[in-house]
Amino acid sequence: MHRRITFWGQVLNQFGLVVVGLFVHLPVWGLVYLAFEGGTMGWPTTFRLWPEEPTLAVFKQVWESASQSLPFVALLKNSLLVSGGAALISVGLGTSMAYAFARYRFPGRAPGLFALLVGALLPPVALMTPLYVLLTILKLRTTLLGLTIVYTAFAMPFCVWNMRSAFQAVPKDLEEAAFLDGASALGTFWRISLPIALPSISVAALIAFLIAYSEFAMGWLFVDKSTNVTLAMAISGALGISTFSGSLLSALAILMSLPVVLLFLLLQRYLLDRLMFTSAGDD
Amino acid sequence: MIMKQFRSVFFIVSILAITALALGLRLRAVDQLPIDYDEDDYLGAAQRYAQAIKAGDVREIMDYEFNYEHPPLTKIVYGLSILHLPEEDLIPERPPTASPASSLPEPHFQNARLTSAVFGTLEVFALALLNPPSALLLGIHTWQIKYTSQIMLEPLPALTSLLVVLFYWQACKNGLFQIHSENSQVLGARTNSVRLFSDFRSLKRPIFWLALSAVALGITAASKYTYAIVGLVIIVDIFLDVRRSRSDLPTKWGRAVGVVLAWGLLAILVFWALNPRLWTDPIARIQASVFYHSDYAQSEHVENAGFPAWQQLVWLAGPVRWHPGVFLVTLDLYILIFAIVGFKHFWRQYRVFALWLLIAGIFLLAWPTKWPQYLLTISAPLCLSSAIGIRKTIWEPLKRKVRQEKLKRSQIQTRGKTLRSWRLRGESLSGNSWRELRRAWLWLLPGTVALILIAFYPLIYQAAMALTDFNTMSILDGINGGVWREFWRGITGQTEAVDVNLWEFFNRFRRPTSTEVHFAGFKLLGSLLLGILPDLLVFNIMWTVLSVGLQAALGITVAVMLSRDGLRLRRFWRTLFILPWAIPEFVGALIWLRLLEPGKGWLAVMENSPFESFLATFLDNPNTTLILLLVAATWYGFPFVMLAATAGLKMVPKEVYEAAAIDGAGRLSQFRYITWPLLWPLVMPAILIRSIFAFNQFYLFYTIQSFPLMTFATLSYFAFSPTYGGQFAISAAINMFTVIVLVVLILWFNRISRATEGVTYA
Repeated sequence: MHRRITFWGQVLNQFGLVVVGLFVHLPVWGLVYLAFEGGTMGWPTTFRLWPEEPTLAVFKQVWESASQSLPFVALLKNSLLVSGGAALISVGLGTSMAYAFARYRFPGRAPGLFALLVGALLPPVALMTPLYVLLTILKLRTTLLGLTIVYTAFAMPFCVWNMRSAFQAVPKDLEEAAFLDGASALGTFWRISLPIALPSISVAALIAFLIAYSEFAMGWLFVDKSTNVTLAMAISGALGISTFSGSLLSALAILMSLPVVLLFLLLQRYLLDRLMFTSAGDD
Repeated sequence: MIMKQFRSVFFIVSILAITALALGLRLRAVDQLPIDYDEDDYLGAAQRYAQAIKAGDVREIMDYEFNYEHPPLTKIVYGLSILHLPEEDLIPERPPTASPASSLPEPHFQNARLTSAVFGTLEVFALALLNPPSALLLGIHTWQIKYTSQIMLEPLPALTSLLVVLFYWQACKNGLFQIHSENSQVLGARTNSVRLFSDFRSLKRPIFWLALSAVALGITAASKYTYAIVGLVIIVDIFLDVRRSRSDLPTKWGRAVGVVLAWGLLAILVFWALNPRLWTDPIARIQASVFYHSDYAQSEHVENAGFPAWQQLVWLAGPVRWHPGVFLVTLDLYILIFAIVGFKHFWRQYRVFALWLLIAGIFLLAWPTKWPQYLLTISAPLCLSSAIGIRKTIWEPLKRKVRQEKLKRSQIQTRGKTLRSWRLRGESLSGNSWRELRRAWLWLLPGTVALILIAFYPLIYQAAMALTDFNTMSILDGINGGVWREFWRGITGQTEAVDVNLWEFFNRFRRPTSTEVHFAGFKLLGSLLLGILPDLLVFNIMWTVLSVGLQAALGITVAVMLSRDGLRLRRFWRTLFILPWAIPEFVGALIWLRLLEPGKGWLAVMENSPFESFLATFLDNPNTTLILLLVAATWYGFPFVMLAATAGLKMVPKEVYEAAAIDGAGRLSQFRYITWPLLWPLVMPAILIRSIFAFNQFYLFYTIQSFPLMTFATLSYFAFSPTYGGQFAISAAINMFTVIVLVVLILWFNRISRATEGVTYA
């Protein structure tokens, strides 16, 4: 651990990491291979490590018509709208609530926290039917806004719970100092607590985004217009059709994962430095 | 003195009452249970033994061939029980895989079943002598009742195996392992020294009990082989004691081996004497009958049953499901739960029984044949552990609370004030906290309104739905307030509950037709809480533990490897390993299926694939399917733990390692004693988050659908199909059940660590 690694330790560690790397990337390679091979209907029946004639044809096809002659960009727009919306609403409406739970000792706080925890534990399927009824009454069921609300319901309690912990970890002295300097409660929140907790809040938003971005099963219950289909739904839909093509599916999956992977690569440093999971305790 | 007398009278009365209750429940089952598999085999054998005994034909008893795989003692005992009855038609000898007989000759049938019930009741009585509450649990355990009310091989060996351990326990209590000291200071602890090795004269009583236990073991083995595993349990217990004892006698191991050998020899002698089939040609015959079982365990008959390795836990997690109405009390699930909760204390108080539960339990998990009657090998220690769990988690805290209340009341009275408890509590809620609310409410408003609307209102709506029969046909009524109307009318008693069956949504021919919502009462939710879905419950919890355990192990290992000073390519590897987290879960599941799917997967279509035959049956067998699922789940989940552990490792101060290195700690002990204790609180929140996700895992199961729904599904995935099928009320009931399970698990987890309060990304 602390002692500098020896030569053989280096070799041993690298070997172990290669094994884990293979475990992580073998299945990913399967996906990439299929997508670049192009034109495989169903699943392939032969084994190859490398595509015979690498081609981008399937990507082009997917780009132009990913699902029911809708171009990829249209689906991506739907996905981004819905998951971005869910993340924004969760964080936007939840931040102040999380702050109140972290800072104030009001009556009903303990039951409120418990309710929040139950909300965070809830399997999405438990909210499905009631939301269906609710959105039908509000005449929002088949719209993208409706889908956004559904995904917000899945993600928001979890977000609030995590943001509360983030606010709790903000040193109280800092806030008190600002308060003594004459800042209002809002000012203290805005200038001190929020900036400090911002990394964790964005991680919470990222998780909300991911939950919504990869959801499809509940989506199919709510959406009935092909123009409102999201990317994840398109992939799950591609599995079921009779002209199913392994290459097409893989290309779609790669294209879908790409934005998230890029986001992660960009955020990697940020995630590692800021994503500290500490046990703050309930003071 | 009176108190003492009262206690012993109470003890005796409770033992008798429990025994009477057990007998009553078994008599009811004797009367009402239908004829089961193999009852004809054993009764048929009993009839022939009875004939032979009457005719005095010893040869026939010795050489009776049918059902040779099981030793004859139990069947002979059944024969003795029908000896006084007039002879009836002999039951034909059929193969062991045959379906249950349609009828069996009376009164033989009734009589043999009664004998079974008597042994079952005696077992309860024997356990009551040790610990009455656990005997009560054994008395009401439905699996125990079922198999000690039918003509099975279980009742006799279940009783005698309990006796083996009880006699051994008695031997220990009489000082088999106690220090023998002249000054009458009693050292209750068995850890001190071993009396066995100091003075033989004072050992008459313990040796007597030990001999009795050997005799009981012989009877057990002669009744059914598997139950003889208690012999192993006792040997392990003896050696554990000898290892712990600080006796200086150099020959302590030799003497212990001697005692075990003498004890075992006596057991074998009794076994042989009670096993007439072994009177001639014992070696070959015992080989034949023992090997029968290992062959049978690999036979198609067993394999076609398709039970997963953990099936015995599934049986235990719910009452017998095949005979509705026969069993009056169905609390098997809770007996299991408290047995798990209480195991630690159980181990401390009754170690040999805990060993029994452990060793026989492992055997049951490992043995491929999963018939539920094997449960009787562990039901006695299970109930004992459960009784201790109930005492520790319910009875003792309750008693403490009552005592505190009493104390508080007497204090208040001496002060001459009668404060009501709400005012006592009100003190902590001073005006200060109301001022806090005034400051906080504006902050709370937006989030609270949103959450109430989109999360908590739906949750309450689910709860109301779970008490109705809301489904596709009645959807219009439901949307227009029908659910609330029926819920209200139902709980105010204005309407009768209609019947809703969990299995209705599988039944295509009984689709609901009414276009109105009806109140259905608490029956469905109640049956879920009593363990109507044991498969899913056991799988769900096991899945959470296994998958998160693997994710944590891999994630932490990789993080530790990456944290070594001077490691090359650190950044590269880390980036590479985060990747699975960025890929949507179901895509990940899909590509693993792509790799491993039999016939179509990458590994299967490989030229000269060494995996092909292995993969061919991969998804047919629940155990190997579980491996595929676990691999996919580990792949997807470990980066999250790895990130948390990497962040945590940065916070471990390096000076500690230097100090440890100076003290000569190896790398392994460095991890064990430094890294792990410091790291654990830091990765715990991440592990908890992964656990919640694993418990509600959905897309993985949605994607890899090629196995029976009942064996492999989380509750949340299972609840999805009735929703999709339009049985909203059933799905709602399952969801409410899931929520209850999760809340209980979290509360329990919270008791162990306060981590849930501090789940943080700081």
